[in-house]
Amino acid sequence: MFEGLRGKVKSFRETVSTTSAARRLKERTLDDALDRLVLDLVESDVAYDVAEEIADELGRKLEGEVGLVEGPGAAVDGAMQQALRDVLDVDGLDVDRTVRGGEGPVHVLFVGPNGAGKTTTVAKLARRYDDLDVVLAAGDTFRAGASEQLGEHAEALGVKMVQHERGADPAAVIYDAMEHARASGRDLVLSDTAGRLHTRVGLMDQLEKIKRVTEPDLVIFVDEAVAGNDAAERSREFREEVGIDGSVLTKVDADSKGGAVLSVVHATGRPIAFVGTGQGYEDLKPFEVEWYLEEVLGAGP
Amino acid sequence: MEELSRDVQRALLRSDVDVRTVKEVTARIRKRSLEEDPKGVPVREHVLRVVHEELLNLVGEESGMRPEPQTVMLVGLQGSGKTTTAAKLARWFKRKGLSVGLVSTDTWRPGASDQLGQLADEAGVRFYGEGGDAVETARRGLEELDTEVTIIDTAGRHSLEHELIDEMVRLDNAVQPDQKLLVLDASIGKQAKSQAAAFEEAIGISGVIITKLDGTAKGGGALSAVSETGSSVAFTGTGEHLSDLERFEADGFVSRLLGMGDLGKLARRAEETLSEEEVDASKLLSGKLTLNDVYEQLEGVQSLGPLDQVLDMLPVPVELPSDVADVTEKKLEQYRVIMDSMTEYELENPRKMNASRSSRVARGSGTSREEVKELLDYHKTMQRTFKQMRGGGGRNPLKRLPFG
Repeated sequence: MFEGLRGKVKSFRETVSTTSAARRLKERTLDDALDRLVLDLVESDVAYDVAEEIADELGRKLEGEVGLVEGPGAAVDGAMQQALRDVLDVDGLDVDRTVRGGEGPVHVLFVGPNGAGKTTTVAKLARRYDDLDVVLAAGDTFRAGASEQLGEHAEALGVKMVQHERGADPAAVIYDAMEHARASGRDLVLSDTAGRLHTRVGLMDQLEKIKRVTEPDLVIFVDEAVAGNDAAERSREFREEVGIDGSVLTKVDADSKGGAVLSVVHATGRPIAFVGTGQGYEDLKPFEVEWYLEEVLGAGP
Repeated sequence: MEELSRDVQRALLRSDVDVRTVKEVTARIRKRSLEEDPKGVPVREHVLRVVHEELLNLVGEESGMRPEPQTVMLVGLQGSGKTTTAAKLARWFKRKGLSVGLVSTDTWRPGASDQLGQLADEAGVRFYGEGGDAVETARRGLEELDTEVTIIDTAGRHSLEHELIDEMVRLDNAVQPDQKLLVLDASIGKQAKSQAAAFEEAIGISGVIITKLDGTAKGGGALSAVSETGSSVAFTGTGEHLSDLERFEADGFVSRLLGMGDLGKLARRAEETLSEEEVDASKLLSGKLTLNDVYEQLEGVQSLGPLDQVLDMLPVPVELPSDVADVTEKKLEQYRVIMDSMTEYELENPRKMNASRSSRVARGSGTSREEVKELLDYHKTMQRTFKQMRGGGGRNPLKRLPFG
């Protein structure tokens, strides 16, 4: 996975290591390599501004090493790992613990742009927690066929779904689902919502209202790993306008380059909880920083 | 020159244009700008004109579609917007006076057929979507509907899903569509290139539709898709309603890639009525509006003409929220009076306006707290609206160019 990014990082390491003549890290070598690294990261779908920041940070870490270190390879490895870790090290989020540790029904609300894969992700999480008593809330009352889509998943997974007619107030649907879950002693409510672009003011206000009315324990932002620069922009907006606890990145299996992970974590300051790796219910993988670093950097330094 | 070309590079990279394309374009720009005689035009302007031309070449012509009987097949990645686009296209053809049918062959995604069926009702066109085998469904759909235009929606798939790619090839053979359109999310990153190449190789793509261009994504991936498929962009999707389908306009698209917008037009108009300081578009576009900016902007824009006309000339197809667009002159005057009663701190930090501050301002301006809140809402809405026009961050000097 993430071959794109791995290849780029490797080539940066090699450039810096092999072209510094006397096995010393030369300032010019480093500058050139960092410039190239920015392009390489962008090539791997790291948002441009995030790529620049990573390169700057890497430059600062390596600057002290210029002319000092014999065999810069190890220094680069260490600095690179630290630079990526700096981006990814944000307050932990333990979805499993929140979901399993709640008193009364725990509520998880899913938000994100159109077509990112919210409904499928809701279904995958229902499968992940199939030992719990799960209720799905069909909070996408806008898109044609959305309730039917979630309904088919509910049937396939054997879980209850609460829905209203198309065009109904999504906050009311989710509120009802919570009421139902409380009354019948359920464990977990997973709420789908309509996809929306962050530029739609009315729709963003609606999310704020849903959140206010239904008081979710977790708000999860769902975006796709194949997105480019906009992943940073829109995830930041969702964080600012709605507030999110973590993200799910879908379509990682679509040969995604892996850069969106860095963009989204950097922009939101919130961790990635899961990645979607296919169209089956089981294709959901908890995201771990170590796993990601391993994929991108190869074996540790 | 060096700096300008770096700025162009940066703007394009932020818009998801492929790195190699960016390098090639900037190399050609450098060469052409140096060789060609600018004929008295200032250097920056000359360079920008060359940039614009080069990008227009890459985007290709504005092909659109012919309103005539045909079979159209839509393909693309999961979640790119094929089903919504199918219904939008159906509406478009229907309004040209053709009979239209929609066929759902997405037997994978739950609810896909229901979705297209409901949208067909909404568009007032015929629909076919019996489950089972996709190829069989398409064949029967064409037969049963017997409409002048038939639009085949397909399941989302990506290049590594070999079974699904294979299914698409069989669909193509069975239906033999006149048009095979690749539906591409405006936000797609570097996958645009390889995915477009895979679809092209499998069935041959005749055109591209860019969806979700009403967000902040610039759609630079479309350049890769166009060049990989040797086709052009037919339409763009700019909203969730069936009417939100627009003919592709290369000029506006390229301006947007550069983070410039059609600011040239606005600049010319501004020059006629105002001096440069009075219209500061960069501030509008920075997304960080304070009430002071709103104040200045009210004055500036009012002398320029109605806000919505000014916005028409800006980079993005902006849907101006009605609570901004429909504000009357009288209301704007009231906003100004309210702002006159606010402290500098409040004007710079509208978020700090709490109940007691609002009461004081309301008393001072002879208005009510509701009216003060109205102003604050107006500011908030405007801030959000302008955020979507933001080019590529604050450091890009291109955005300010037309204003010097």
